[in-house]
Amino acid sequence: MINDLVRTMSPLSRILNLRLWSLFIKEFHQIRRNRRLVILLIIPPTLNIILFGLALNPTFENLRLGVVDDSRTPESRELVSAFTEGLVFKTKAYYASTEDLGQAISRAELDAGLAVPRDFAEKRARHETAEVQLLVDAVNANTATIAGGYAARIIASLNQKIALSQPRAGQPTESTALQPSPPMGDTSNAPSSFLSPNNPSVSLTTNVSVTHATVTPRLTILYNPGLKSAWFITTGMIGLLLVLQGSVVSSASLVREKEIGTVEQLLMTPAESSEIIIAKVAPIFLLLAIDIGLALGVARLVFGVPVRGSLLLFFLAASLCVLCGIGLGMMIATFTRTQQQAQLMGFFTNPPLALLSGATTPIEAMPTWLQPITSVNPVKHFAIISRGILLKGSGVDVLYPQLLALAVIALVMVSVSVWQFRKQLG
Amino acid sequence: MKRILAQVRKELTQLWRDRLTLALALVLPVVLLLLLSKATSLSVKDIPVVVQDLDKTPMSRRYLETVSSSLSFKLSALPTNLSPERVLAQNQARAALIIPPQFERDLRRGQNVEVQWLIDGTDANTANVMRGKAAAITQAFTAQIQPATIHPAIKPLIRYWFNPGREDLKYFGPGVLAFGLAMFPPLLAALALSREGELKTILQVYVSSITAFEYLLGKVIAYTLVAWAEWIAGMFVLFVIFGLSLAGDPTPLLVTTFFYLLCTTCFGTMIGAAIPNQAAAIQAAQLGGFLTSFLLSGYLFPVTNIPQPLRFLSNLVPMRYYLEVIRDAFLRGGGWPAIWYAPIALCLLGAFFFWRAWSVMKDMQVKA
Repeated sequence: MINDLVRTMSPLSRILNLRLWSLFIKEFHQIRRNRRLVILLIIPPTLNIILFGLALNPTFENLRLGVVDDSRTPESRELVSAFTEGLVFKTKAYYASTEDLGQAISRAELDAGLAVPRDFAEKRARHETAEVQLLVDAVNANTATIAGGYAARIIASLNQKIALSQPRAGQPTESTALQPSPPMGDTSNAPSSFLSPNNPSVSLTTNVSVTHATVTPRLTILYNPGLKSAWFITTGMIGLLLVLQGSVVSSASLVREKEIGTVEQLLMTPAESSEIIIAKVAPIFLLLAIDIGLALGVARLVFGVPVRGSLLLFFLAASLCVLCGIGLGMMIATFTRTQQQAQLMGFFTNPPLALLSGATTPIEAMPTWLQPITSVNPVKHFAIISRGILLKGSGVDVLYPQLLALAVIALVMVSVSVWQFRKQLG
Repeated sequence: MKRILAQVRKELTQLWRDRLTLALALVLPVVLLLLLSKATSLSVKDIPVVVQDLDKTPMSRRYLETVSSSLSFKLSALPTNLSPERVLAQNQARAALIIPPQFERDLRRGQNVEVQWLIDGTDANTANVMRGKAAAITQAFTAQIQPATIHPAIKPLIRYWFNPGREDLKYFGPGVLAFGLAMFPPLLAALALSREGELKTILQVYVSSITAFEYLLGKVIAYTLVAWAEWIAGMFVLFVIFGLSLAGDPTPLLVTTFFYLLCTTCFGTMIGAAIPNQAAAIQAAQLGGFLTSFLLSGYLFPVTNIPQPLRFLSNLVPMRYYLEVIRDAFLRGGGWPAIWYAPIALCLLGAFFFWRAWSVMKDMQVKA
């Protein structure tokens, strides 16, 4: 098939630089015959996108909740069932005392504990605020924050339910908006509403009450309403994969030539060193372009990641990302003599590339002195671009700073490494 | 015994002379620990939020004050003629807050009011945190403006145990150390074995009087020693530079560290024995050490969040057990009752890895 392609392209090759073209074909065949390289180009991207999307999941379900119910009343059971109604908390066990509960948390058997005091139902009956204790295992700060937030929301909605049911039971004055009834329906306990004539001295500047109405936030989640973390992770991972693949493949193919000593043979040919380099890199670039489609396809098929913006722009930005990877690989190749060394160099570059990119954790959570450093990381810019195009449907008008940054990084890396490599070849 | 010690000495001398590998063994783990434990954090502070206050009354300003005094959000005004969604699309803010007109008037009339929060859901985790905070802040505001006679029926007293400030460094610092130890000792051990395979010096081993068991044990001991050096350097960074301290009994940590380092080194020996090609061995170590540890150990998000068939695999990842122990040691202090199973699991895994390596080597020796 490739040979057919060559034959059909041959008139074109005469117009183009013939030497460059035949070098390109040589490299293309070499890569095609290298089974390991082809496998390397197909399997890891597919597997990585799927694994990362599945395994890195911050959405919390089934947090283990331990309960101490000293009240043992319908009211306390209502509270516990409010907690376990949703998907977030699951009752793991009941405990006799708060000490037992605390010990279970210390043994990491529970994520959170709920302690309902003995006088819970009595306080509820007297319309006093009943306090319940919620112990959250905060070893993992993120889980703890989210669990605490869920718990507060569960209790808030229960309170709202109780508040709605109470005035009807007490005094039906809900309609008189200016003087809503206090929950006990006790008329001697006058409502101290701001506009209430009983209370003319109340002013807004002091921290006093004005109303019986409540403010509720209407929370709208844009772009990813289901809060699917896979959408965040996979869109970030595509860039990381392209850069890592690009660097591994290009450094391997350049260093191999050095290692085996065939560089000398190449130098004997009339081809110029820049032609050698271009011919080496171009097929890799084309093969990695297939990876772009592959990674996007997997993200779309397995996780339903939407494509809301321009696919063309996505491929353009992804190609810049591949170029950055190739540039990085060539740079590594200039520093090393053997494939083994080149791979070991990867251990120095890959973890920072992956973890200082915002692909898996938000950049805003990094310390402020570190945040500017992440701007030299192409993965960071591509993560913003791919999330912008795929999830937000943004176009060039919004994403041009990142596109520009990516182009500059690609240009600098490729030209510096080509220059270095040419020096070594010469 | 003498043969094993000689093997250890030879291995360490060889490592000392290989500068690139030595840097990889001792400098890189410390650099990664310094850099990544600070960088890996999920708690975003000062989240940029744009505000459109369509009411502009003392009451609406008070709501905004309540929001900004929570220190989670950094507010900035957005002119009403600009679309908040565009600002979110441009990544200039993570959320937009819109206070409806007649916010104060409606509240004074006793009508319930909704304020609108548009949250960028791209980063699902941060969006989740923002949602919780927005709800909590608004609740606190409602409590402020309501008369003291109205109180909520139930009030939760939330206590955050073991890490009251909810600092990420205490969680991720020890995690990065565990991660480094899952990555580098196996890599070094794998390289040491596959190098002998590649350069065919292994044939000399076959014809010498040293048994496969002694040969492997010598390698394992040598690289476990290197791993201990990495561990000590890492603990120094955690204690002295980050100022962390242990909570409770240190013996579970020490015992588990012993087995963990043996286990990861054995994993490396298994790879190195099976693959007599350095480049391929590095890739295998990278896949087994770096990728599985990063994804399946609970380093970033809890193991319980992984869907089931994959979650089972995490039981085979050594770092998973060590993470539980080291985080327990630094934060919870639950000690033996909480983590008794971890050293046992590591011991079993390590024994399995060593057995695999040994069975490969043993067969070869018979052939030679």
